[in-house]
Amino acid sequence: MIAEKGVWNKLRSRLLFTGPTLFAFITVMIVPFLYGIYLTFTNWDGISTSHSLVGLSNYGEVFKDGVFWKSFGLTLKYVFLSVVLINAIAFALAYMLSRGMKGQSIFRAGFFVPNLVGGIVLGFIWQFIFSNVLVFFGTKAGIPFLSASWLADPDTAFWSLVIVTVWQYAGYMMVIFVAGLMSVPGDILEAASIDGANGWTKMRKMILPLMIPSFIVTIFLSLQRCFMVYDLNLTLTKGGPFKSTEMVSMHVYEKAFLSRDYGVGQAEAFVLFLLVAAITLLQVYFSKRMEVEA
Amino acid sequence: MKRIIKGFQLSMLALIFVMAVTACGGNASNSGSSASNTAEKANSSGNESAVGDEVKITLLNSKGEIQTQLEDAAKAFHEDNPAITLEIQTVPGGSSPFERASTMYASGNPPTMIMLDTGDVEKFKDRILDLSGEKWNADAVANATDLTSFDGKNFAFPLAIEGYGFIYNKAVVDKAVGGSFDPSTIKTTADLENLFKQIEASGKKALVISPMDWSLGAHYLPLAYAGQNKDMAEVNKFMDSLKAGTADLANNKVFNGLMDTFDLMMKYNMDQKSPLSGVYERGPEVLGKGEVGIWFMGNWAWPQISSFDTANGQYGFLPVPISSNPDDYGNQEISSAVSKRIVLDKEKSTPEQQEAAKKFLNWIVYEQKGQDFLVNKASIIPAFKNITLPAADPLGQSIQAYIANGKSEQSMSTLPADHWSKVGASMQKYLAKAGDRATLAAEIEDYWKNVK
Repeated sequence: MIAEKGVWNKLRSRLLFTGPTLFAFITVMIVPFLYGIYLTFTNWDGISTSHSLVGLSNYGEVFKDGVFWKSFGLTLKYVFLSVVLINAIAFALAYMLSRGMKGQSIFRAGFFVPNLVGGIVLGFIWQFIFSNVLVFFGTKAGIPFLSASWLADPDTAFWSLVIVTVWQYAGYMMVIFVAGLMSVPGDILEAASIDGANGWTKMRKMILPLMIPSFIVTIFLSLQRCFMVYDLNLTLTKGGPFKSTEMVSMHVYEKAFLSRDYGVGQAEAFVLFLLVAAITLLQVYFSKRMEVEA
Repeated sequence: MKRIIKGFQLSMLALIFVMAVTACGGNASNSGSSASNTAEKANSSGNESAVGDEVKITLLNSKGEIQTQLEDAAKAFHEDNPAITLEIQTVPGGSSPFERASTMYASGNPPTMIMLDTGDVEKFKDRILDLSGEKWNADAVANATDLTSFDGKNFAFPLAIEGYGFIYNKAVVDKAVGGSFDPSTIKTTADLENLFKQIEASGKKALVISPMDWSLGAHYLPLAYAGQNKDMAEVNKFMDSLKAGTADLANNKVFNGLMDTFDLMMKYNMDQKSPLSGVYERGPEVLGKGEVGIWFMGNWAWPQISSFDTANGQYGFLPVPISSNPDDYGNQEISSAVSKRIVLDKEKSTPEQQEAAKKFLNWIVYEQKGQDFLVNKASIIPAFKNITLPAADPLGQSIQAYIANGKSEQSMSTLPADHWSKVGASMQKYLAKAGDRATLAAEIEDYWKNVK
């Protein structure tokens, strides 16, 4: 059928399969995205029936908004720590749970479960743990760093966010690593053992290079998710104490909907989109070049 | 064979197209309302099957604490007016009524009535109905509709008067002062400190500061604006000077007096080891159980306090003193204002729906059942002179008494929308001792200079 001649015939069979998805994609992604870009050139406040074009002044506001760049810096710090910890812990878990130990499927499932809990619920659960459970045990046992809520201090609140993020995503990334580890051919590892390579050498020279494709995926996923974190930020710390843990997505949201500066909020969202797209594309580009063939 | 496949393809394409078009079209007019309508009809025991022109209206409620009371009122209203069905919708916790209402407008499906905060009404001006012709305008308390009138037209229905200050637990303070406590004896900052000391001497904690940004930023700090002068015009002048960047907050007498009182509160705060870890729910619990004598909050907290009450329902308000001179404005006045407004949509609502909504507002003000809902069920202090029912709870009664004695200070109800969040964060910083008073003053001045 596809080989049939005529543009219409080709188009028709393609539309049959991709049409519905394409339609959904265009209406819920492309159109709002373009409309959003249009709104960055206006001074709309989110509700009024009229708005006027203001040119590029919203983008000027973005560069003048010190709080935006401060929270972007904070987000970079958070992303860096989370991505490193998520991948390190996930790889360690995957490595341990793919050596054929007893009950490893149960452990794998167990580590994966946090990922099935939505960020909102997760935030509330951990809020309770950090400000009630830990404080309770801390005061009973007389441990000073646990006897006050972690969420009430800027530094510990930041670390709480990192801890919960790592806990949430490590299991997910572990699954990807497990799949990657299984595809490392056993014969070359065996050959290496016969040649006298010890465990560490095998890890460094063979397993890690062959795992690059998995790392590309996991780092990409964790980068993108951590940059866009909002739900956890909202439910765990609400950006507090005193806005010290306000990540950039939350700042953008508040700019648009709380300060009612829709145009500037949209412009900040667009700038954020460009920055995150650039960072993730660079990551994929450079790590692709590290790939090797077995 | 080929022909059949081709035909199949075409019909599939057509089907997809039709589905997409109908799915979009169906949304606009009456999404889901017909389904709930029939459900309602089935509910109301079928004895009004003859009613031809049934009207369904909706109210977006932003006072979460009276949701069940409102639903009961909607039922009572339906009994009185069988042709009108009122559905109560809620603003989800954590988002503001403005956010929710603007989202609903953006999706082309606004509720008939929206309960907004005073400062938001102006933004909706182009989309809501002019209510100047309604009878209740004449019965509203003085100045109740000033802030929602534009070009001489009033756009909103004043629903509630709310006030805030120090709530005291009478059982605790009675024991502390040894006898019956008289709130009018607290007129200066020194009087307040004395009371704190007496409460601590009686073995209780003096007070708890709830560290939410909205409490500190929208209620506590604005006392410094409202307390500038008894004359609202002078207060507005002060606000203008803040916006222009010419006000000197660090040397402002009222601001410093208010923050001196705040220092005092911090000194006697039961949570001073970790001042930011408290949550709202903790306040009514420790006050109701009598673990502390005083809590800074407003009369809306009554339902929560009453569920922990150990003082036999004996609570009242103290003003927040700002100086050592008892006669200074603000030392004996309690801050109060009309806080929630109901507006009527005119864009998507039919004339019948608008009439039904107006009927509901009149029902609240003039019908005995409506007044009963407002005052007794929902514990609201009404903003209407014709409603003579006394407030049902001690906090409302206390506010009413202050207003009746002329001891009230107009709350700031048209602050910019992000004021509570941004200035609240600065106050939290001060509370956690992560910034001093100069930092706080600079941050507030900075906020006002940059606000739009």
